Amino acid sequence: MTLQDYRNDIQRCSRCSLCKWLPLAQIKSWRFANACPSMVWGNFHAYSAGGRMIAALSLLDGRIDYTDKLVEIVYQCQMGGACDVSCKVNRDLDPLEVMLELRAKCVEDGQVLPAHMVMIESLRSDDNVLGELKAERGKWAEDLDVKDITKEKADVLYFAGCRYSFDQDLWKIARDTIALLKMAGVDVGISGKEEACCGGRAFEIGYRGEFTKYAEHSIETWNAADVRTVVTSCSDCYGAFKFHYPRIGKKMNFEVLHITEYLDRLIKEGRLKPTKKVPLQVTYHDPCHLGRLSEPYIPWEGVERKVLGQVVIKDPPKEYRRGTNGIYEPPRDVLRSIQGLELVEMERIKEYAWCCGAGGGVMEAYPEFAQWTADERIEEAKATGAEALVTACPWCERSFRDALEHNGAKIKLYDIVELLLEAL
Amino acid sequence: MALRGNVYRILEDIVGPQNISEEPVILDTYAFQWLAETISGTKFCTRPEAVLLPGNVEEVQAIIKACNRYGIRYKAFSTGWGPWNTVEGEGVLQLDLRRMNRILEIDEKNMYAVVEPYVIGSQLQVEAMRKGLNCHLIGAGANTSILASATSMAGYGLTGIFTGYSNCNVLAVEWVLPDGEVLRLGSLGSGAGWFGGDGPGPSLRGVMRGMIGALGGLGVFTKCGVKLYPWYGPPTTPIEGIHPLDGMPIPESFRVHSLTFPSWEALADAVYRIGEAEIGYVMGRALPPGLIPALNVGSATEYAQMLQLVSTEGMMDEFKYAIQIFLGANSARELEYQERALEEILSESGGKIILMLEEQSVKNILFRHLIKSEGISRVFQLAGTFATSLGAGTSWDAAVASSKFGEQLKRKYIERGAIADDGGDLAWGGAYQHGRFGHLEEIIMYDFQDADSLKGADEYVEESAQATIEKSLGQPISIVRGMAEHFGPTSCDYHIWMRRIKKAFDPNITADPSFYIEPEQPPGK
Repeated sequence: MTLQDYRNDIQRCSRCSLCKWLPLAQIKSWRFANACPSMVWGNFHAYSAGGRMIAALSLLDGRIDYTDKLVEIVYQCQMGGACDVSCKVNRDLDPLEVMLELRAKCVEDGQVLPAHMVMIESLRSDDNVLGELKAERGKWAEDLDVKDITKEKADVLYFAGCRYSFDQDLWKIARDTIALLKMAGVDVGISGKEEACCGGRAFEIGYRGEFTKYAEHSIETWNAADVRTVVTSCSDCYGAFKFHYPRIGKKMNFEVLHITEYLDRLIKEGRLKPTKKVPLQVTYHDPCHLGRLSEPYIPWEGVERKVLGQVVIKDPPKEYRRGTNGIYEPPRDVLRSIQGLELVEMERIKEYAWCCGAGGGVMEAYPEFAQWTADERIEEAKATGAEALVTACPWCERSFRDALEHNGAKIKLYDIVELLLEAL
Repeated sequence: MALRGNVYRILEDIVGPQNISEEPVILDTYAFQWLAETISGTKFCTRPEAVLLPGNVEEVQAIIKACNRYGIRYKAFSTGWGPWNTVEGEGVLQLDLRRMNRILEIDEKNMYAVVEPYVIGSQLQVEAMRKGLNCHLIGAGANTSILASATSMAGYGLTGIFTGYSNCNVLAVEWVLPDGEVLRLGSLGSGAGWFGGDGPGPSLRGVMRGMIGALGGLGVFTKCGVKLYPWYGPPTTPIEGIHPLDGMPIPESFRVHSLTFPSWEALADAVYRIGEAEIGYVMGRALPPGLIPALNVGSATEYAQMLQLVSTEGMMDEFKYAIQIFLGANSARELEYQERALEEILSESGGKIILMLEEQSVKNILFRHLIKSEGISRVFQLAGTFATSLGAGTSWDAAVASSKFGEQLKRKYIERGAIADDGGDLAWGGAYQHGRFGHLEEIIMYDFQDADSLKGADEYVEESAQATIEKSLGQPISIVRGMAEHFGPTSCDYHIWMRRIKKAFDPNITADPSFYIEPEQPPGK
C-alpha cells in the first residue's frame, strides 16, 4: 500500500495524542508514562505519530512542500512502533505503516539525509550499512571452529548481521553465541564474508529498492542452499525477516529464530544446562525489533465497505498487528533458567517497551537524540534497583554502551548470551 | 502573514529558539482537528501564525505581555484535543503548554494535588493511587489534561457519583490573565496554599470558568489544585490478559455490576436513590446499548458483527434501561452496607443485575475501562468519527428526558442512513455528586468523509441544540461557536455577562475569543 492508500485512515486520526503515551491502563508512573521518544525530544505535535500522519496528509494535499524541517520530522524517529501499539488500543489505524510509507515517499522524491546516504552507499558498495569493507565481514569469526555454509552444509545458519560483523566491541558476544551453540551440539555454520545485510534498515529509512534487493538475495540464497533454520542474534535482522521480508511475497523455505528463542528451546530440550549460579539482579530491555516489531507482517488487500449505515469495515476483515505476538517470554525464560539470577521488570516492557534509541537511522543521523533515548531507558532500568541491564540486540547494546560511557551511570550491561555462558 | 521579524525575535528570546516555530508542517499539525470538517469542510482549521512552547508561568506571562504590546492574539491549550483548541483568524499564536508537565504536589493528608497543564489524567491517577487516593477522570479519556478539564472545559466522568466532576474539583488556580498579570485564585491568593478554590482569597471560579469554561478565550491557567478522593484498591493496578480482552482484577474492596430496569422512570428513580444512599464509586451509563458490542472487540468489523449478533438475539433489550455501578469501600462492613442498600433499591425499583455481564473476565474489562477511563475513544473507531449533543447538564431527570428525546431524534437520522445504526441509543453519562447533577449526552457516529453523512451529522447537532431550547432540555454538550449567543437568551442572558467579563479582563482582546465569546455583539443579534 502506498501513502495515498492510507489517506482515509490518516484523516480518521482524531489528534487524541494517545500515540504519545503508553496505553492508558499500562501507565504506572508519571515519570515513565511516555511511549514516544521522538515526541518527548521534539515537543511539537509534529513529532508524534499523529503529527506525522497529519504531515503526510498536508503533503498529499499540497498544503506544504518539502523543507528541511519536514525531513527532520520524518526522520527524527526510531520507528520503534510504540505509538502504533498505543493507537491500536481503540483504533483501526496503522500509524507505523503510514510513517514507513512517508519515508519511502521522501526517498522517492529525493528528500534524503546525508547520513542515510552514507549508509546506502556503503550498502551498495560493501553490503553493510556501517561503512565497512565487505572483505572484513567475516573477521569476527576468525579462528573459530565453525562451518562455512558457503562450502558445506549445516543444520543451522547463524546470521550475524552488520552490527555484530563489524562492531569489534561486540564480537565477543557473537563468538560466545557460537560457543553456546556448539556446547549444545548444534551443527552450525556461518556465511563469513559472503553474508550480506538483511536490508531491514534500508526499508526503515525508506529505500525500498535496496531493501527488496537484499531481501530477495537472502531468501533466494538460503532457499537455494536448502537452509532449514536461520538463527540470528540481531533483533533488527530478526524483525526484518519477520515483519518486512513477507512484503516482497517470496516464499521462505526456512525457519527464522532469534537466538533467545533458540537458546530457550535448547535449554528446555536439556541440551544446555545452566548449572552455575550467577548471583545478579537484572532487568531486561525488550528490543523493539524482537518485541512488537517482530510480530509477523499480515498482508491485507481489500476495500472499505459500509455496514450499519455508516460503520466502516474492511472487507475482507483486516487483522491488525498490536504487538502482542512479539518475542517476550523466550528471553525471560532464558534468564529465569539461570540460577541465582533475579529478573526485575521495568515499567515499560514487552510491547510497551521504550526504545534504546538506535533504530530507524537515528543513531547515524541524530546521535544526540539516540543517546538521550538510551539515557532515558537506563534511568528506567536504574529505577528498578537492578545491578545490570540485559538486552538481546547488538544495536541496543551499542546504544546503551555509548550512553553509559557518556553519562557514567553505574549499571552493568550484558547480552543474554554472556550471562547464559557464565551459567554453564 | 508571518510575524514581523522583531516580534518573532522577541518571542524567541522568551522561549528559546527550539520552542517556537513558524514551519508550515508544524503549524498544520495544530490546525488539524477532530470535527474540523464541521467548521472548515476539511480536516484543517485555521493555521496558527506560530506555535510556542512556554516552559513556565514567567514565559507565559512574557508572551502575553508581548501579545498585548504588539496587538497579537493567542490561544493556549494543554493536551489540545478538539476543535475549540484551534485558533481563528490570521496572525494568532498557539501556545502549546506541553513543557509544563509536572505534578507539583500530592497532599495526602488534605487530599489534593497541584498540577501543571500537561499532566494527563492517567499520570495523576497512578501517582495518587500509590498514596491511596484517586482523581476524577473525564469520560473523554485519561489522556486529557487534568488542569484543562478543571479550569477551562466541561468535565464529566463516571466516577462522578463519588468524585464529583471537574468543574467542582478545581481548587486554587494560578491564572495569567489576558493582559499578562498573574492572578492567584482561592487560598493561593492569600498565601495559604492550594487547598481552597473559594478562599481564603479571591473566589472567581464563576468568572474563570462558568459552566463550560472559557475554552482558551480568557488567558492561560498555569497551575491548579484539584481535589483527590479515597482509592480503595491496591497502590498499583496490574492489567491481565491480551488486548482487547485485558482486564484489571477487581480488588476485594470493590463490587462491579451492570443493572437493568423496566423503564426510564424506574432507572431514573433508582439512580436518585443510589445518590441519596451515598453508595457507589462509579455509576452511570458507561455501556449504552450501542456500545455494548464494543466492550471486547478489536475492530470496527468485529463491532459490526457483534452488534448484529446481539441485536438478532434480542440481547440489546436488556441494556435499554441499564447502568453500570461499582461499589467501593474501605471496610467490609461499609461494602456490605452498600451491597444491601443496592439490593433494596433494586428490589423497590424493579431493577436487577444483568447476569450476562457477571462473568468475571467481562467485569475485569469493565473495571479497567471505567477506573482508567480509556474506553470511550472507541466511538472514533466505528465510523471514523463521532459528534455529541444534548446532555442536559443540570438534573438527572433532565438528563433522562434529554436522552429519551435524543433516541427519537437519532432514529430519524439512522433511518436516513446518515449516521451509524448503533441501535439508536448511545446516551452516555451519569448522575454526579450523589445525584445532585446529571448528564446524558447522545452520541452519534458518522463518516465525515461521506458528504451525506457529514451533512446529516451537522443537522443532527443543529436540530438537537435547537430542541434543547424548545423542549427545555438543558444546555447541550455540543461545542459550537456562538453557543453563548444561542443559549444565553434562554438562560438568564449569561452571554451578556460573559461579554462583560471578556471586555473587563481582556481590554485589548488578545486571548482568541472564537470559542468563548466575541467581545462585541454580532450584527443583527
